[in-house]
Amino acid sequence: MKLLLSWVWDFVDIDVPARAIADTMALRGFEVASVEDLGGGDAVIDFEVTANRPDCLSVIGLAREIATAYDLPMRELDALPNALASVHLGASADVAVTIEDAELCPRYAAAVADLVPVSTPAWMSTRLQASGVRPISAFVDITNYVLLELGHPMHAFDLDTLAQRQIRVRRATAGESITTLDGAARTLDPEMLVIADTARPQAVAGVMGGAASEVSATTTRIAFESAYFKPASVRRTSKRLGLKTEASSRFERGADVNAPVVALRRAIALMQQIGAGVLRGPAVDVYPAPRSPLTLHLRRDRLARVLGLRVPDADVRRILTSLRLGATDTADGWDVVVPTFRVDLLREVDLIEEVGRHYGFDKLDDAFPEMRQAAALPDARIARDQLVRRVLASTGLSEAVTFGFIERRAAEGFVAAEASESIVAVANPLSAKFDVLRPSLLPGLLDAVAHNRRHGRRDVALYEIGARFSHASGETRGVALAWTGSVAEHWSTPARMADFFDAKGAVELLCSALGVTATFEPIREPFLVPGQAARVTTGGRTIGVIGQVSPALVERAGAPRQDAVVVAELDLDAVDAARQGAVESVKPLPRYPFVVRDLSIVVSDALPAEIIRGTIQTAGHGQPAPLVAVTFFDRYQGKGVPEGSISLSLRLTFQAPDRTLTDPEVQTSFDQILTALVREHAAVQR
Amino acid sequence: MSLPASSSVAEQLAAFERELATAGSLRDAQAVRDRFLGRKNSVVASWMQMIASAPVDQKKLIGRYANELKQQIEARWTAYAEAAEANARPAGAVDVTLPGRVPRLGRRHPLTVVRDRMEGIFTRMGFAIVEGPEIEDEWHCFDALNMPAEHPARDMQDTLYLGAPVRGESGRPDDRRTMLRTHTSSIQIRYMQAHTPPIRIVAPGRVYRRDDLDLTHTPMFTQMEGLVVDEGISLADLKGTLLAFARDMFSERARVRFRPSFFPYTEPSAEVDISCWQCDGRGCAMCKQTGWVEIGGCGMVHPAVFEAVGIDAERYTGFAFGVGIERVAILRHQVQDIRLFFENDLRFLEQFPY
Repeated sequence: MKLLLSWVWDFVDIDVPARAIADTMALRGFEVASVEDLGGGDAVIDFEVTANRPDCLSVIGLAREIATAYDLPMRELDALPNALASVHLGASADVAVTIEDAELCPRYAAAVADLVPVSTPAWMSTRLQASGVRPISAFVDITNYVLLELGHPMHAFDLDTLAQRQIRVRRATAGESITTLDGAARTLDPEMLVIADTARPQAVAGVMGGAASEVSATTTRIAFESAYFKPASVRRTSKRLGLKTEASSRFERGADVNAPVVALRRAIALMQQIGAGVLRGPAVDVYPAPRSPLTLHLRRDRLARVLGLRVPDADVRRILTSLRLGATDTADGWDVVVPTFRVDLLREVDLIEEVGRHYGFDKLDDAFPEMRQAAALPDARIARDQLVRRVLASTGLSEAVTFGFIERRAAEGFVAAEASESIVAVANPLSAKFDVLRPSLLPGLLDAVAHNRRHGRRDVALYEIGARFSHASGETRGVALAWTGSVAEHWSTPARMADFFDAKGAVELLCSALGVTATFEPIREPFLVPGQAARVTTGGRTIGVIGQVSPALVERAGAPRQDAVVVAELDLDAVDAARQGAVESVKPLPRYPFVVRDLSIVVSDALPAEIIRGTIQTAGHGQPAPLVAVTFFDRYQGKGVPEGSISLSLRLTFQAPDRTLTDPEVQTSFDQILTALVREHAAVQR
Repeated sequence: MSLPASSSVAEQLAAFERELATAGSLRDAQAVRDRFLGRKNSVVASWMQMIASAPVDQKKLIGRYANELKQQIEARWTAYAEAAEANARPAGAVDVTLPGRVPRLGRRHPLTVVRDRMEGIFTRMGFAIVEGPEIEDEWHCFDALNMPAEHPARDMQDTLYLGAPVRGESGRPDDRRTMLRTHTSSIQIRYMQAHTPPIRIVAPGRVYRRDDLDLTHTPMFTQMEGLVVDEGISLADLKGTLLAFARDMFSERARVRFRPSFFPYTEPSAEVDISCWQCDGRGCAMCKQTGWVEIGGCGMVHPAVFEAVGIDAERYTGFAFGVGIERVAILRHQVQDIRLFFENDLRFLEQFPY
């Protein structure tokens, strides 16, 4: 709302520079976008009026706030000489007004005038222009002047274009249409209120007039409309038509139900003042169910309790009165009559805000809320996520944050074909780039890898913790990582490129840190290179995936096709469900020495290491020497090993809790293990 | 060759010293030593030879000079050799200036760095950290927050809706999520439904609005909202709490200013300004010469919100506030473009602490 300071002077004698006023009002709830100096002490202050204060989309509304802020008297319109024309209210011989839907239009006032062709006087067009409104013609300018000054939207019809000179306020019928003042043909529906004559709609109520009844150069007689429309109805209509106007934005926030007649009287007074027309007969005011103003009770103690500040009674009374809130003292506070232009004041707390903001929030103490009990437990996911961050940081991965919505094509690349219908679409996306919610963190992470590769970065190691969405599983939280380029580069050793086992190692570390025993099995996923992809499970439940991203997807993301990008994603909610209790009782340290035996075998290269480990553990479980650990320390394929076979070197550790093992005991167990390997996997000892 | 005189010993010692100083290696230095001390053709050897041919009265003197020179050069050589040994590169020496094997340590994202810091501050003040779902229903995001359908305030946050509802984590058939949350206030609603006062929580998380991506806007950003509900909670408590936060987060000298504003879910409502910590409120580029920097919004919980979640609005009062984590990160680290937070360029990420 652009406020011309000299216009305010009509109502308040204030001799304060515009910038000082702007600074003061910014602390009373009216943020200032700009101050434009016009010279001679005048200026235009552009206020950003909050949605709850439609009354301040007007010179008078803001003048009232300024008067209150500076504790100055305010001249309301009725105290200004000749500002309001005296009109008789009654039936008009020239126009008949009927409200057919009093819920959507509680009040409709109108007056008829004969036009006298004059041009808008300079003082009026200057004020309009300074307020950002283009002068058009005397009559339009008068309605705009009233709009700016009182904040009440009016409309003018060419009376002769109204069939049978009738004004009917009714809902549109299905399929009915109107060409609005902007030249657009608009289809209406029964949820919309129109101002019609006996034949057709002539205006969309509270939004925009119709072209057919527009006041033109040939118009000789007009009907002024000054009405009150239900905010929700105007809002719905404006939204549905995609049509936002000065009028609709005021009506939808809430106009003053008592403004129509005042606005009409103001418009007629201006018309008479500039000689633009002659009023014909009485004005019409159809107001079937007059509303009585709201009375609120404001308690002194409640005021002090909510603000944490005791405001002297005299200041409470001064502030309320200056804002035209009629205050009557009661035993514990005040009864306050709320004028109808203050649509935002509905309960006691609203009055507390009025007193607080004008008394000044700067007077508040710096208190601190008393603690009566220990802090509540935090969300368990917070500590878990922090642990995940610590673990992944220690593997050299940096944290990324990517958007929760992605492109459908990118999402579909990372889910199985049958799961693509589970992708959650955004109904009103910003663009096609953001049209679905991510089913996985991997597409976004791959984009981040590609971004870094495009900017000359060779080695990229990123992870992200975040929400994933699908119709099948709802919202789940996951962690994903993506790795490309060299790992642990140092001048002393040749660089090694990140591969499947770096991603798997990070997952194993994470699972171990989270107290989950993970197992891995090969899978085929369309987005992973075949043979370089694994499913992560725990207790038979899938908790994640590891693999190398297919070159086609790497290229599509914008990274070089030959880049090996290894990724992993874990469902943290599923991991949580499988987590074992963190603290268990400590086991006593072994009192007897362990014995280590190395074993080299040649087996088929198609045999998963996990199966060999299982065979060894089963065979070594019993007597006489208990097997306590198996580690793989070498895997060799090539010269000396038959085609299709590999040589595996394993280290077996034996230990008994109650005695020192003897060589024969260890040998017996070792032989049992070897026998099992030969029997089950045709292993050959090297 | 003339016979050594009384000054000759000092002259030869000085010459030895000069030559030693120019020796580039231990081998060069040994050659110098040999020229002065060697068995043949050295200075000392030539003096010794002179004894035989010298006049009788001088023999003894020359012998003394030769011995003196020999002893002094030997002493000097011993010192030199010891020093050289001490300075020599030991076997197996490494170039300690070569880079060490630095284990790679990844970084936290700057938004996590700021969030962790803020969580620490509020935890110290007795707040519990609470999270909630990013996809929400309109009741938790709007209706319960005093924004019924048709409320103009719903226009203030352009919402992203889902094409089809997604079931919520409760699994109940009526638990259907239809939109992306526009603020983390929905977490506060869920918390108040499940807990009775006193309540003291902060709720961090990602939120979504239908904003185009530019220098200062992103369709997804991160908020931290706080909520305190108890008997006798006041606006002054809110101001003191935010002051404590500002002094820890920004500057020990920070001051807090409330500018009255409007949010449907708080009454009274205010924008929160912190005195500029770059210029201490005198005016600078960061605060655009105003001395103040806006960091969020706040207010007293609207009674309609309490009524929606079944908290006695007469007995209890409460305050709420919301701070944008990107905003705090931008202010603290002078980030010029908000998009940097979501591009994940390692050249940017690696500028933040571990």
